[in-house]
Amino acid sequence: MSNLAVLPIVIPLIASVISAFIPKKLGLSRFIAKLFAIIFLVYAGYLAWVVFTDGIIVMQASGWAAPFGISIVADYLSVTLVLITSILTTAAVFYAPSSLSQLQESYYFYTFMFLMISGVVGAFLTGDLFNLFVFFEVLLMASYGLIVLGGGKVQLRESLKYVLFNVFSSMLFVTTIGFIYASVGTVNMAHLAERIQEAEQAGILTGLAVLLFFVFAIKAAIFPLYYWLPNSYIVPNPVVSALFGALLTKVGIYSILRVFTLIFNHDIGITHEIFTWLAIFTMLFGVIGALSTQNVKLIVTYNIIPAIGFILMGISLYSSAGIEGSVYYLVHDMIIKAALFFLVGALVVAAGTDDLRKMGGLITRYPVLGWLFFIGSLVLAGVPPFSGFIGKILLLRGSLEQEEILLTVAALITSLLILYSMIRIFVRGFWGDTVEGLPEGQNKKVRHLTIPAAVLLAISIFIGIGAEFIYPHVETIANMLLDRAEYINAVLRE
Amino acid sequence: MIYAVFAPLLFAIVIPFLSRMKHKIHTGWLILPVPLLVFIYFVSFVGSGFESQVSSYSWIPSLDISLSFHLDGLSLLFALLISGIGSLVVLYSIYYLDREERLGHFYTYLYIFMTAMLGVVLSDNVFALYAFWEFTSLSSFLLIGYWHFKERSRYGAIKSLLITVSGGFSLLAGLISLTVVTGTTSIREMVGQADVILESSFFPLILIFLLLGAFTKSAQFPFHIWLPDAMEAPTPVSAYLHSATMVKAGIYLMARFSAIFGGEPSFFMLLSLFGIITLVCGSYMAVRQTDLKAILAYSTISQLGMIMAMLGFGTDIAIFAAVFHILNHATFKGSLFMIAGIVDHETGTRDIRKLGGLMTFMPMSATLALFGTFSMAGVPMPFLNGFYSKEMFFDASLQLSGYAGTFVEVLAAVLPYLAVIGSIFTFVYSMYLFFGTFRGKYKEEQLPVKPHEAPFMMLLSPIILVVGVIVIGLFPSLFNNGLLTHAADAVFGAEVTKEISFWHGFIPPLYMSLAVVALGTVLYLTKTSWEKVYTIIPGNFSFNRIYDWGVNQLEAASNRITFTYMNGSLRLYMILLLASVTTITGTVLFISDGINFEVSDVAPVTVHEVLIAIVMAIAAVATIFVTNRIAAILVVGVVGYGLAILFVLYSAPDLALTQLIVETVTVALFLLCFYHLPNLTKRTESIAHRGMNALISVGFGALMLVISISAYNSQFFSTISDYFTENAYKLGGGDNIVNVILVDFRGMDTLFEVSVLFGAGLAIYSLIRLRKNKGAK
Repeated sequence: MSNLAVLPIVIPLIASVISAFIPKKLGLSRFIAKLFAIIFLVYAGYLAWVVFTDGIIVMQASGWAAPFGISIVADYLSVTLVLITSILTTAAVFYAPSSLSQLQESYYFYTFMFLMISGVVGAFLTGDLFNLFVFFEVLLMASYGLIVLGGGKVQLRESLKYVLFNVFSSMLFVTTIGFIYASVGTVNMAHLAERIQEAEQAGILTGLAVLLFFVFAIKAAIFPLYYWLPNSYIVPNPVVSALFGALLTKVGIYSILRVFTLIFNHDIGITHEIFTWLAIFTMLFGVIGALSTQNVKLIVTYNIIPAIGFILMGISLYSSAGIEGSVYYLVHDMIIKAALFFLVGALVVAAGTDDLRKMGGLITRYPVLGWLFFIGSLVLAGVPPFSGFIGKILLLRGSLEQEEILLTVAALITSLLILYSMIRIFVRGFWGDTVEGLPEGQNKKVRHLTIPAAVLLAISIFIGIGAEFIYPHVETIANMLLDRAEYINAVLRE
Repeated sequence: MIYAVFAPLLFAIVIPFLSRMKHKIHTGWLILPVPLLVFIYFVSFVGSGFESQVSSYSWIPSLDISLSFHLDGLSLLFALLISGIGSLVVLYSIYYLDREERLGHFYTYLYIFMTAMLGVVLSDNVFALYAFWEFTSLSSFLLIGYWHFKERSRYGAIKSLLITVSGGFSLLAGLISLTVVTGTTSIREMVGQADVILESSFFPLILIFLLLGAFTKSAQFPFHIWLPDAMEAPTPVSAYLHSATMVKAGIYLMARFSAIFGGEPSFFMLLSLFGIITLVCGSYMAVRQTDLKAILAYSTISQLGMIMAMLGFGTDIAIFAAVFHILNHATFKGSLFMIAGIVDHETGTRDIRKLGGLMTFMPMSATLALFGTFSMAGVPMPFLNGFYSKEMFFDASLQLSGYAGTFVEVLAAVLPYLAVIGSIFTFVYSMYLFFGTFRGKYKEEQLPVKPHEAPFMMLLSPIILVVGVIVIGLFPSLFNNGLLTHAADAVFGAEVTKEISFWHGFIPPLYMSLAVVALGTVLYLTKTSWEKVYTIIPGNFSFNRIYDWGVNQLEAASNRITFTYMNGSLRLYMILLLASVTTITGTVLFISDGINFEVSDVAPVTVHEVLIAIVMAIAAVATIFVTNRIAAILVVGVVGYGLAILFVLYSAPDLALTQLIVETVTVALFLLCFYHLPNLTKRTESIAHRGMNALISVGFGALMLVISISAYNSQFFSTISDYFTENAYKLGGGDNIVNVILVDFRGMDTLFEVSVLFGAGLAIYSLIRLRKNKGAK
C-alpha cells in the first residue's frame, strides 16, 4: 500500500529515461509522452482519491523507519498538487508538438520535461529536508536543459543568470540544512517539527528559519529576490515557460507553506510578520513589473510574482481562512498560469510578434483566442465566479479578520492592476483595426495551440463555479496544515 | 425567480447562433420576448397587497455563498425598470442597429448585462451580489467597446472598467468586512444586526469601502468622469445601462444599506455632501456640452447625485422622493436618450451647434423631447412626473434637523440653496437641449444627411416612455400604493405613507420651484453672455486630466521603477540579493536573541589548520584582484585543494578524495576552455561602490560565521547519526558508514543525484549538438 506514494515520482522518471533513448523517432516519443502523461494523470487522480478517502500514505524508502531513512509522504496537500501537476503535464505534451520546432523536440525535450516533472513531484511528496534539496537539484538541472533548448544567444545569456541564482540558492540551502542538522540533529520534516516544538524554536532556530525562507524565496520569486525570473522565463519556448511559470515558483512557495506550517511556526510574531511585509511588496512590485512592459510574454511572466504574493499573504495570516485561501489560490494559479502562457504562445504565433505596440485587431481573425484570453484575464484577476475569486475572498476574509488593512488594500490594488495589465493585451492586441502584415496560414497552428489552453481554462472555471466540490478538500488540507498532528503521526508513529 | 433572472443569460448563449440568420430576421425580434416575459412576471407582483418573497438556491454552501433572491419593494421597482426599459431598448435597437452590425455580440453582451443587473438587485447573498455587480461592469465594458475599432471607444471602455472595477473591489472588501463583523452573508440578517455593525471598530472602514463602490458605479463626483466617455457605446446602451439601470446600481446599494446606516451622521454627511456636489457640478457642466449625448450624460450624473443626496437625507419624505425619482428619471431620461439617438440617426450628427429647427422635419420627435426635457427641468405642470419628485426633493432638503455637530449643521443649512442652484442649471440645459435642437435656425449645410422623421416603430419606445411620464404625472397614486410605498418602506425600514399631489398650497418648495423656473429662464436667455465663466471654472482643470495623467504615469512610472532594478546586471541582482538576506536575517537573529557566539566550546584549532585557512582566505580574496585568467583559475584551485587538505585533517578521506578529483577536473576543464574565452576585463567602479560591495560581502560572510557558531552552540538534541553508526554494519552490511548511508539509508538521494548527472550530461550534449546543427545550416 505505502508504495503508492512514490509512484508519481517514478512514472515521469521512467518516461524521461525511455524518451532519452528515442530522441529522433519523433512520432514514437510523442506517443510515449502522451501515454505516460495520461498514465500519470490517471494515477495521480487515483492516488488523490485514495488519500482523501483513507488518509495520509507514507512510504519509508528502503524500509528504513523514520527519521533515519527518507520518508515520502503523500498527504492531502501533496497529492492535490501532484494531481494538478499531472493535469498540466498532460496539457503540455499535447501543446508541445505544435509549439516546438521538430529540432527542439528531438533534442530531448520530453526527457527534460519528464525529469523536471519527476523533480517537482518529488519536492511535493518528500518528507525529508535534504531529499527536498535533491529534488530541487533534479528539477533545476532539467530546467537548465529546457531553458537552453534551441540555444539562442539571448537564451544562453538569460539562462546564465538563472543558473547562477539557483546555484547560489542551492548552496545556501545545503548550508542551512547543515546548520539545522547541527542544531536539531535531524532532517526528517516530521521529526524536525516535533523537536523544534520541544525546543520552542528558541535561540538560533528562528534565524535559521528565516535563512531557509530565503532559500525558498529565491525559488518562489518573492520580493526582493525575483530578479532572475522575468527575463529567463520569456526566452524559452512558451510550453517551457508555461511549465516553469506554473510549477517551478510554486515548488518554492509550496516549500514555504509546508515548512512554515509544519516546522517553524512557534515564533510567528517574527517570521510571519516578515511574510506580511514581503507579501505586500511582492504583490505590488510584481504587478508594477507587469505594467512596465509592452512585451506580452513578459506581462504574463511578471504576473507570476503577485500571485506568489497572494499565496504568501495567506501564509502570513496563519489562520484557517488564510491557509485555505493560500491553498485555493495555489491550485488556481498553477492552472491559470499554464493556460495563460499557452494562450500567449498562441497569440505570439498569431500576431507574429510579442510586442503589444505592433498588434491590433486580432479578434477578427482569431475570435476564439481573443475570448479565451479575455476570460483568462478575468480568471487571473479573481473576478467571480471563476477560480481566482474563491481564493481571493478567503484571503481577504482572513486578512480582514486580523484587521490587516494595509495588506487588504494592497491585495485589492494588486487585483485591479493585474486586471488592467491583462485587459491591455485584450484591448490593444485584439480590439482595434487589424494591423498590416499578420502572418498568414497560422490558423491551424493557432487552433492546435488553443485547445489545451481551453481545456485548462474550463478546469479553472469549474474550480470557481464548482467550488462546492473543491472547497471541502481545501478545508481538509488547511486543517491538516494547521493541526500538524496527523502528518507527524503518520510519518513517525506508523 | 431564478428563471426570471437567468433567462436572459441562457438566451445570451444561443444569441450567437440566432444572429447567423440576421439577414432573414433581425435578431432583436427573436429575443424581444425574453425581457418582455420577465417584465410581465414582475408586474404580476405589483399591487397594494405585495409581500416580499425569498427564493433560495444553494451554490457553495460550505462558504455560505448561495443564489438567494429576495424580492422586496425596492428590488421590485428595479426589476421592473430593468426588464421594462430592457424590452423597450431591445425594440428600439432593432431599428437603430443595422443588420450589418455584429448583432450577435451586441445582444449577447446586453443579455449578460440584464441577468447581471437583475442579480444585483435581487441577491440577498452579498457574494452573489458582488459577482453580479462585477458582471454589470464587464458587460458595460464590452458594450462601450462595441465599436472597438474607434480609439475613443477603447479609451472609454478601459476608463469605465478601471473606475467601476476598482469600486467593485472596494465593495468586495466592504462586504467581506460586513460578513466578518456579523458572521452572516445575508443582507437581511445583516440588517437585523445593524447595532453590531454600527458599534464595531470596522464601521468607518465598511462605510468607506461601500461608498467607494457605490460612488464609482453611480458616477458620483469625482468618479463621474467615466460616464461621459461611456457615451461611445451605441445609444440603446446609453439609454439602458448608462442612464436607466447600471448607473443606479450604486444608488440601489446605498438604498439597500440605508436600513443599516440610516440615521448615522457620517452616512448622512458623506452621501448628502457628495450627492449635492455631484448634482451641482453635473448640471453646471452639462450646460457647457455640445454633444447631445454628452449633455444627457452630465445630466444623468447630476440626477444621480440628486437621488444619492436624498438617500443621504434619510427622512421618510426624502426616501420616498428618491424612489419616486428613480422611476421618473428612468422614464424621461430613457426617452431623451432614444430621441438623441433618433436625431443622430436621421441627421448624421449629435453636435447641437449644427442642429436646430428640426421641429418642422421631426414633429413627433420634437413633441416627445418637449415632454422629456420639461419633465427633467421640473416645470410645474400636472402632467410632468419630474416636477413631483423635484418638489419633494426641495421639501426634503428643508426638513433636515436633528443632526448634531457643527459641520453637519452647516451642511444641513446650505443644502436647500445648493439644491436650488443645481436645479437652475438643470432647467437651463433642459431648455438648451430642447430649443437648441428643435427650434432656432435650421442649418442645412451643416448636416450630413437631410433630416426626416424616424419610422414609427423606432419612435414607439420613446412614445411609451413619454406616455409613462404623463400617466405618472396625471395619476401618481396609480403607482403609489402598489409599488412606490413598498419600495420606500424597504429602504426606510418602516412604513412610509405619502400622498402625491400636485398642489400643496403656497409653501416654500413651491417658491423654490418658481425661483428655479424664473432664474433658469433668465440664465438660459442670457447664456451666451455668461458662458465665459467656464474658462475660469473649471478652466483647464478636470478630473479627466488627473485620470489620464494617472493612467499614463501608471505605465511610465512602472517602467521607471522596474528598470531601475531590473537592468539586466547580474552584479546588481547579486548585490540586492545578498544585502536583503544579510540585513533581514541579521535583524531577526538580533531580535529573536539567536546569537550565541561562544567559541570556548569549539574544538581547538591547531597551527597547521590555521595556516591552511589563511592560505585559502588569501587565495579566495586574490581571485577578485588578479587580472589574468590563468592566474584566477589557479588561485581558485588553491582554495579547493586547501579544502581537500582540511578534509584530510578532519579524517574524512572519502571527502578529501572526492574534493581532489573534482578540483583537478575543474581546473583542467577550465584550462581547456581557456583558449576560447575572451580576456578578463576589470570594471572600474567608484570607491563608494566598491566600499558598498565590500561591506555587503563581508556582512554576508560575518552572518554565515555567526550563524554557524551559534548553530553549533545551540545543540538542542543529539543527532540521529548514532543510529547509523550502530546499524551500518548490523543492518546495512557495510563497513564504511558513509557508503552505507549513500547507497542504503539514503539511497533515494543518490538515485536522484544520478539522474541530475543524467540531465546535466544530456543538456550539455544537446546544447552543443543543436548549436552545431544551426551552424551547419
